Amino acid sequence: MTKLIETSQSLDPVTFEVLKNSFITTVDQMAEQMLRTCYSFVIYNRDFSNALHDADGNSVAQGNYDIAVHVGTLHNTCKEVIRVFEGDMAPGDVYAINDPYAGGTHFSDVRLVRPIFDEDKLIGFSQSNGHWSDLGGSVPGSFDVTARDMFREGLRITPLRLFQRGRFCSDVANMIAANTRDPASIIGDIHSQAQATQAAERELLRLVKKYGRDQVTRGMEEVQDYVERAVRKRLSELPDGTWETVDYIDRDLGAGEGMIPIRIKMTIKGDQIHYDFTGSHHTIASMYNSAPGATFSAVVAGMKTFFPDLPLNSGFYRMIEVTAPKNSVVSAEWPVAVTGFLMPFEKIMNSIFEMWSKIMPERAIACAFNLEYLLAGGRDARKPEKPIFMFYEWLPGGWGGRNGKDGADVTTACFGTGLMSQPNEGNERVNPTRTTEFQIKQDSAGPGKWRGGVGVQKTSVLLEAEGAVMSYICDRERAVVWGVEGGLPSMPHGLTMKRSGEDTDIWLGSVFSDYPVHSGDEFARPTAGGGGFGDPLQRDPAKVMEDVIDDYVSLTRAKTDYGVVIREIDRDLCQYEIDAEATEACRADIRANRKDWARMDPTEVSRRYKSGEIDSLDAVRHYAVILDWETGEVLPKTTAQFRESFEKRTVAHWD
Amino acid sequence: MSRTRVAVDVGGTFTDICIMDEDTGVIRIEKTASTPDDPMQAIMNGVEQGRIDLSEVTMFSHGTTVATNALITRRLPRTAMVCTEGFRDVVEIRRANKEDLWDTYKDVAKPYIPRRDRLTVRERIDAEGTILEVLNEDDARRVAEVLKKREVKSIAVCFMNSYVNGANERRMRDILKEVMPDLPVSISSEVMPEIFEHERFSTTMANAVCAPVVVDYVSRLGEKLSAAGYKRDLLLLHSGGGVMTPASVRDFSARLAGSGIAAGAIASRFIGNLCGFPNSIGFDMGGTSTDVSLAWNGESRITKDWYIEFGYPIRFPSIEVLTIGAGGGSLAWQDEGGSLRNGPQSAGAFPGPACYKNGNRTATNTDANVVLGRLGTSLAGGKITLDPALAAEAVQETVATPFGMELHQAAEAIVAVANANMANAVRLLSISRGYDPRDFALVAFGGAGALHGAAVARELSIPTVIVPPNPGVTSALGCLLVDVQHDFSESFMADASTVSPEDMQTAFVRMEEQAVERLTHEGVAQEDMALQRTVEMMYQGQWRSLAVSAPAKIERICSLIEAFHNEHEREFNYRREEAPVSIFRIAVKAVGIVPKAEIPKHEVSPHEPEPVGRRSVWFDGVSHDAAVYERDRFTAGASFTGPAIVEQFDSTTVVPPGMAASVDGFLNILITTKG
Repeated sequence: MTKLIETSQSLDPVTFEVLKNSFITTVDQMAEQMLRTCYSFVIYNRDFSNALHDADGNSVAQGNYDIAVHVGTLHNTCKEVIRVFEGDMAPGDVYAINDPYAGGTHFSDVRLVRPIFDEDKLIGFSQSNGHWSDLGGSVPGSFDVTARDMFREGLRITPLRLFQRGRFCSDVANMIAANTRDPASIIGDIHSQAQATQAAERELLRLVKKYGRDQVTRGMEEVQDYVERAVRKRLSELPDGTWETVDYIDRDLGAGEGMIPIRIKMTIKGDQIHYDFTGSHHTIASMYNSAPGATFSAVVAGMKTFFPDLPLNSGFYRMIEVTAPKNSVVSAEWPVAVTGFLMPFEKIMNSIFEMWSKIMPERAIACAFNLEYLLAGGRDARKPEKPIFMFYEWLPGGWGGRNGKDGADVTTACFGTGLMSQPNEGNERVNPTRTTEFQIKQDSAGPGKWRGGVGVQKTSVLLEAEGAVMSYICDRERAVVWGVEGGLPSMPHGLTMKRSGEDTDIWLGSVFSDYPVHSGDEFARPTAGGGGFGDPLQRDPAKVMEDVIDDYVSLTRAKTDYGVVIREIDRDLCQYEIDAEATEACRADIRANRKDWARMDPTEVSRRYKSGEIDSLDAVRHYAVILDWETGEVLPKTTAQFRESFEKRTVAHWD
Repeated sequence: MSRTRVAVDVGGTFTDICIMDEDTGVIRIEKTASTPDDPMQAIMNGVEQGRIDLSEVTMFSHGTTVATNALITRRLPRTAMVCTEGFRDVVEIRRANKEDLWDTYKDVAKPYIPRRDRLTVRERIDAEGTILEVLNEDDARRVAEVLKKREVKSIAVCFMNSYVNGANERRMRDILKEVMPDLPVSISSEVMPEIFEHERFSTTMANAVCAPVVVDYVSRLGEKLSAAGYKRDLLLLHSGGGVMTPASVRDFSARLAGSGIAAGAIASRFIGNLCGFPNSIGFDMGGTSTDVSLAWNGESRITKDWYIEFGYPIRFPSIEVLTIGAGGGSLAWQDEGGSLRNGPQSAGAFPGPACYKNGNRTATNTDANVVLGRLGTSLAGGKITLDPALAAEAVQETVATPFGMELHQAAEAIVAVANANMANAVRLLSISRGYDPRDFALVAFGGAGALHGAAVARELSIPTVIVPPNPGVTSALGCLLVDVQHDFSESFMADASTVSPEDMQTAFVRMEEQAVERLTHEGVAQEDMALQRTVEMMYQGQWRSLAVSAPAKIERICSLIEAFHNEHEREFNYRREEAPVSIFRIAVKAVGIVPKAEIPKHEVSPHEPEPVGRRSVWFDGVSHDAAVYERDRFTAGASFTGPAIVEQFDSTTVVPPGMAASVDGFLNILITTKG
């Protein structure tokens, strides 16, 4: 039982609890309505969020299953709508906005905002935010990695009116739809989202009827105060202090090699917390930049992971202060391209995981795999009318090892844990593709006393198609998923293409746009596993053997990464045994040499890689060297940066 | 001795047996302690205790938790899966999402079949059903030999796109059967022939792991019953709300996974219909949780989004039941934000509420109800006595002191928070699905349902509460009132504007032939068969479908489209007359009607019943002098107004001040919440 704390509530505890739960139920009802009527398959797979706001635009409640990445941004877009339409709003109005430069995320996330009136008094807003399938721009799905500014990216929607006093403004809606590759779905999603906001209006007015306007509006304030109190209480119970870390984006497409640092210094003082991004790189020549709203969202999402039980609303944000240098990769301004903001976003989230892991070791976690998106589009030549197709897909991967527990296997990326992966049978019906493989990738997990979760590999063939192009949006081909507390990184990765009729793979890496593809081309992409937690030489050999039996780990890497020597007795019967003596010797050998390996001359490592003596897993896990994975050439600046992190997170924890 | 029907509901604590005299319709109840290690022991004990002559029993139906428990506890026989090469991990990758989005230490459970027992063979069928690669028989035989060596007890065969063409799966089964003739083999194209591989494979996997468990249980129980004289087929309640015979259990074992949960929903629907409320909400509140279900127009709401463990859907149509952690034993607590909370933690059966005197000192809903005088201090006919002093102490320490409230105010606050949580659950099942609670009656049952039912109904503006005669054993009644039922469905993906009625008719007829064959196999006579068709449709581009009823002869697709627009508008508040409509799936519900005995109706003679006593009961901060009635003394036509308390062996009914209550011809108490 928690002890009594000072409460400043003016509502009685029962009314308060009822209203608090009703606000959340209301938002969950919006989600249910959206899921069941949406058109965008991105929304259908749960890339959406909903919120209820007070009359000032602050968030009162977010849904239980909303995607993480929209957290901490919905109040911004609501406030922007208020700024533009204040004094000019009426019941039945609905506004749209997708502006990342006004606190949104990226163009694809289109928010519909409805003012809610009790008679003639504005009492709040409901907002429904969904990822539309296309917003125009230079490539299908609106993700052009080479975009330097927003003009290649798609349609920027500053606040505008989509419904006026209940009347659908089809002129405006049609203009928006006409700027996309999927106009019919866009109109469908506008209706779906507008109805979701109306469902919230109905519910809020029902509460007003029952409890009275004053109690409800007071409840909307007090649920925010409640969350604020709970967070401040937890913060004040923690020791004051400062924590620092750095994570990287692979590179600036417009510059030479060398990773792009995002630096964070976190300071807890009393019941306040400050995140300072001073020292982070300036904006880069690709869409992998983040505007301030999205950066704030990443901070909140990372921190919320350590407060999983608290409801989300603006009360959570009140004790958080964020400072970032102007025009940095985490603080981009119009018109810098930001559609790939999820790349800095996940770096920030994982950095926050790392710092909070020191504060709450019972919830500690190593780095999670990086999200990836494949977008291919063109004409589907299987059908006589050759319709436009858009193949847009993301894969799950492994999360970081934990304190006393292996990382979560094959799970959605950390930016959006609610997101679902897509069925292959659905892909094959809708798009001219055939999947030949979708399975767990052996040895993808970062070794550790508690290994990372495993990633997957998906391989597909393009069937009859015309004018098809492909884009791939990923990262951590170089800033490889890291381990902590002596744990090892997982794996570098990128997309490989086997041209129709040819035998050899072409390495296309983890970031490219508008690449022409033809019928019969086969493309394969793995996702990384999570980083390891703790020294892999301390992993229980029995656990390593179980992983070998399930083919999560190969016999070879059981030996090289864990120093565990296992003999196969009868594979059919899953019978193996550990050679205890050989294991001890092997572990002693690794222990004696591993620090030298991690500091070996990178050119020697490059030579061994090129000659086939070692592979890319050896290069990152044992030699801490980052190469151009196609040519085997050393990337000197990148390697220096990678080694600096490896020394801190891994080597320093070895005995 | 007259002919009887027997229904058994096996619960965690008690096994309830409902015995109905076929001629008079009189129902009597036997209650016996459950025997979790071997549930059929309690059943046979109950049969003996109730002196049931099994040779005179015309129908023995059973809601079982054997499959549910096996899946929950994972005490499952070693089962293997055979997959298309490259797709070994479909059930492990799932849809990759999590149940708890924010807690990084809470994982989705591993699949029922571990990776080592998922083997692959070369074969491939494309999205149109064309065989790109026939089953590689060398691979198939090799896999069969390995699985034989491993001595697996059951096998699932799950191939890509088999929902359009099951030929390769069937061939694989034949080869497995050649090597292991007696082993149960579940193939995905027969278990659940629908698109989306994870959902189909997961259902097939659940089916395969349950098969050895339930087949063994059902055949042993069947033998015991027939040794004791029972001559018919044992009938088993499945999650869809019908029964099936042991013959079908073998092929569709996982349909029993929701057997126990469905019974309460069926009983609630039945009672609602009986009282003239085809729209009813079932409110089954027990010690640790509350199950909420909904019937509309006399039919239970069915869902296909269902699972025992998150991530592993069982896509057989199931009665939709929403379970929340609110029961008599739920604990009240103050969280760190200073908010008063209730549940989902529970004091459980032991130590139970503070007033049970077993050492728990934290207030539960039961303690609060004792403090308020709503619950008496003697339960189960005097078998259990409650200590009001301990209840008061717990409420004082847990809530009154921390929140600065007076004792009774604190107890009311505890109950009010519990009621609000339960009302929210009802809201999710009703309002968020487009149903207005004002159009429903609330059927309150389970040990604690009648204590809270009237207040929850008032919170939701539900005008009527029905408390059945034996609230604590209502679920067993559900098993007694069911028909044989099977569900068939097929993917049928087409543009509604171009689909030909003949093609759809042909597809329906094909499914109906299967349905008739299955019902015949179960001994249902032709004249007792009823087939109901539905078509699932959506606006082109949408991702979820809505079901509409289809006629026995498909003549015009446009009437189906019109029905879809109407249903979309009812459920989602808008229609898009101009938007093209797609057809997604067609389904047939095959019912073998089991003749029902009539529940006897008593003559209603209006009168005011005599209270057996009076006590002080708190409502809205005021102590009321409330009449206390004994339920067993009620006859049809009794009517009274609250504040009143009605006590009976297994339940207590609370009628708040100002509400009117009356006893109908079936001895249900009907409470009108307005007033």
